[in-house]
Amino acid sequence: MNAYLRQVYAVVRKDLLQELRTRQRVATMGAFAVLVAVLFNYAVDPTIVRIQNIAAGLLWMTLIFAGIMGVGRTFALEAEDGAFQGVLLAPIPRDAIYLGKVISNTVLVTVVVALTVGVFGLFFQLQYGTHPVALALTLFLGVVGFVALATLFGAVTAGTTLGEALLPVLLFPLLVPLVVYGVGATGRLLQNRPLAEVEGNIRILGAFAVACIAIGAVLFRHVVED
Amino acid sequence: MASAVALLGASLLMVLLWMVFFWVPTEAVQGVIQRIFYVHVPAAWVSFMAFGIVALCGVMYLWLKDDRFDRLAVSAAEGGMVFTTIVLLTGPLWGKIAWGTYWTWEPRLTLTLLLWFIYLGYFMVRNATENPERGKRFAAVVGIVGALDIPLIHVSVLWFRSLHPQPVVLNAEGPALDADMGITIGMGVLAFTVFFFGVMMLRYQLECARARAELLEAR
Repeated sequence: MNAYLRQVYAVVRKDLLQELRTRQRVATMGAFAVLVAVLFNYAVDPTIVRIQNIAAGLLWMTLIFAGIMGVGRTFALEAEDGAFQGVLLAPIPRDAIYLGKVISNTVLVTVVVALTVGVFGLFFQLQYGTHPVALALTLFLGVVGFVALATLFGAVTAGTTLGEALLPVLLFPLLVPLVVYGVGATGRLLQNRPLAEVEGNIRILGAFAVACIAIGAVLFRHVVED
Repeated sequence: MASAVALLGASLLMVLLWMVFFWVPTEAVQGVIQRIFYVHVPAAWVSFMAFGIVALCGVMYLWLKDDRFDRLAVSAAEGGMVFTTIVLLTGPLWGKIAWGTYWTWEPRLTLTLLLWFIYLGYFMVRNATENPERGKRFAAVVGIVGALDIPLIHVSVLWFRSLHPQPVVLNAEGPALDADMGITIGMGVLAFTVFFFGVMMLRYQLECARARAELLEAR
């Protein structure tokens, strides 16, 4: 088991080191998140709706769109020069590669989500409610579930001629539970509703994340077989 | 064999049409439009069953790497997509008269729409690979994950609706079924199921013939 964790860690370290040196994905995702917030500012007429009232939905949409950009790149980067072949040749199980990628992608998307939440606070005077820890947990579990599915299907789309353009088609129908429970919990936490109202949502988000990781770990080897 | 089943299904469909238009009593509250029920519900049943077959065959394909499972899966998926389209066309027609709107975020409606898109993704992935063997594996993965996610989607859209009750007086289920209506809907499910399997088997034979042709060409 210890050896297995070391293998996962090796993949995480490789991915994060690569990101640390290029800063490509975090930079594009981060810029996207900030700029989309600027556009949201003009897309919502404050004399009709208060942006705070729809902030939860905007936050989750930003998470998903920025996440798709970032996670979609994971395999595209490695497709160049056949780098991914090298990863596959490494004497480690395929699920360790998958878990490593899920962890590194989760780190990246979490950074971007934290940035987005901060930017929303700054731009839209968004108050984080009375349970910031629960809010952070909700968003984090959402990121994990999202990344688990997006990493699996990112590997799928990287192997197709359509590439990342296909990722939303495959991913969005499956993300409905995530958005329903995630936005539901986030919106109520932002409105200072009691914790008991969102507890169930957070549990389901957690279960969704675990289930997606399990499915991905089992199926990933069939995606990258050749 | 396959054409016999398909023909049997087609004749059952004819009987069903006769029952729907001439035999079954008109529903008291909704009137004539309710007759669409006998097409709509069997089609929905077949689309979900087809997706079950796609996922099961996907698992078997990934496990045994036997091309026959993939051919079966793609045959079921094509049939499933056609029947899902039927559900999505008949649903709004009925909804417009019964509910007063073509589209509402009614859970089953939403679920069917998403199912249609999962089928779409299934075919897009399949056709977007240079290596056909890879396309088959990708499609199997999409089918399996889709089937696993569908119950979750269903639960979540139900939950979503419970927070926002629809301003709809009529219940989709209508009143408890009259015996003749029960017989007709039973006939509908039977006819659609037999027809689906017949068409699926025909499609499967076509896929096998195509594989043989490719083999001969390669020689």
